[in-house]
Amino acid sequence: MAREATYRFDVFTSIASVLVRVYLLRMVWLALYARNAAPSDLPLHAIITYSTVALLMGLVMDIDQTRALHDKLHDGSIATDFMKPISVPLYFFADGTGEVLFHAALIVPSLLFALLIVHIDVPSLPVMGVFLVSFFLGYLVGFFINFLLNCIAFWTLEIQAMQLIVTWVTDLFGGEIIPLVIFPVFLQRIAFLLPFASMFSTPLLIYVGVIKPERYLQVLGVQLLWVTVLAVIASFVWRAGAKRIVVQGG
Amino acid sequence: MAIIEAVALRKVFRSRERQPGIGGAIAALFTRSYVDKVAVDDISFSLERGELVGYIGPNGAGKSTTIKMLTGILVPTSGVLRVAGIVPHTHRMANAANIGVVFGQRSQLYWDLPLRESFELLRAIYDVPRDRYLQNMKHFAEILDLDRFLSTPVRQLSLGERMRGDFAAAMLHDPKIVYLDEPTIGLDVIAKEAIREFIGTVNRERGTTVILTTHDLADVERLSRRIILIDDGTVIYDGSLERLRDEYGTHRTLVVSLAEPYPDFEVAGTEIVSREANLVRLRFNRREITAEALIRRVTEHYHITDVSIIEPDIESIVRTIYLEGYHDGSDGAPS
Repeated sequence: MAREATYRFDVFTSIASVLVRVYLLRMVWLALYARNAAPSDLPLHAIITYSTVALLMGLVMDIDQTRALHDKLHDGSIATDFMKPISVPLYFFADGTGEVLFHAALIVPSLLFALLIVHIDVPSLPVMGVFLVSFFLGYLVGFFINFLLNCIAFWTLEIQAMQLIVTWVTDLFGGEIIPLVIFPVFLQRIAFLLPFASMFSTPLLIYVGVIKPERYLQVLGVQLLWVTVLAVIASFVWRAGAKRIVVQGG
Repeated sequence: MAIIEAVALRKVFRSRERQPGIGGAIAALFTRSYVDKVAVDDISFSLERGELVGYIGPNGAGKSTTIKMLTGILVPTSGVLRVAGIVPHTHRMANAANIGVVFGQRSQLYWDLPLRESFELLRAIYDVPRDRYLQNMKHFAEILDLDRFLSTPVRQLSLGERMRGDFAAAMLHDPKIVYLDEPTIGLDVIAKEAIREFIGTVNRERGTTVILTTHDLADVERLSRRIILIDDGTVIYDGSLERLRDEYGTHRTLVVSLAEPYPDFEVAGTEIVSREANLVRLRFNRREITAEALIRRVTEHYHITDVSIIEPDIESIVRTIYLEGYHDGSDGAPS
């Protein structure tokens, strides 16, 4: 925590940038909706709510919380972690989540400001609860994807190309920028077959009420399935990587 | 019972071979050829509880690879290894609780946190009881003089301060064994002395088993009775420092100040190493002639004003062995 708090300047600049982006997003959607017929399930106030909440979620979700894994493999300092009586992947999860929680603390003032600048809908308490559960599951999906990407460094030590591709696919199919429900049908089908929709689209559609309560169990089930699948893959990859670990230098 | 037991330990690294240049990069996409590098060839030794052993060898001899196998982060290609009854790489976590590690070139402290916070984190990681922790902290702060910089972020510490922090960090959970990998590298004389003092104290008072790898043989001379010398991944000497000095330190140097400038100064059975004006250094084998007899031989023919004898230092002995290989000194000394 203290490590993060050292960078106080960061805090202020990121709040300012969030406010600018919230405002710009609103202008973009206003302009788009002014020229076209609004889709029936996402009226203007819903889309503005959607993209504002997506932006705030992105503050947390877009952090590569396992970046330290890549860095430590790169400079060989992973060795000191392996010399401690701890589960190293759990350590990265705890360390990364700590960092994310710190950034989440930034959201509170941003959220309040955002409410002042643009009007966003606030759902009822039970819906908010389901949204938070879904958000957490989405966070886990994101964590395992980042973790797997950083695990590539066990083999090649260079992971940027792969990360770029995944970022691009996540941007497109995650629903962070454009809601998947306004995609053409065939793209929607692809999107729902990928884990990325679990990260943004599912919690956001719960928030704005496009996903109705009768489908809650189904969509949360899909998220849970992705978490499980990715966790299993991650544990295999981790074990294979740890086995062939070659500490650089020294 | 031995606390560390290594039998025929071997580690081979396999890496992909790539031809240089763009052509090589493209070729590497289609064909894979590997090169095997033997880092540790055949190393056996055993350590008793409470021993302090110097693990010495030139760069690339396999020191760090051995240490990494002992800590469980590298899996041996073959051979048997037991540390406090545990096979390190199959029970990494159980092994980790028994050991402490200090790398001279790598810190386990948290870079942006005040030193004190690193200790607190390690306390949680190793699950050290609160009272034991406070007791150890008090003790270490005393010997290592930590109080002055406990609340300074690690990245602002000098190398000497950081190393002292790293030593305390490695010892906080009362490990049975500590591995010190070049712990005094880059330190000034005073800091080195403080670190050596600490290692000695910990070994004596807590009965901690210590394996010390270093290039600074003064560390070894000051601290350990036993040294293991390795080269090319094999043990070339394992025994007391005295025996090594005995077997290899057969040549001593007699320094003679001549009273007159003898141009053709020469003494039978010795070799002139250097001569500056009237100061002559003579190398002689103490198995062939005693110092007393030699001095007599000199004074029979020449007038001298002063004489002194230089004992071989461990550094030059080890240098000789690196260059010429170890052979048992009992059948006559190597030249």
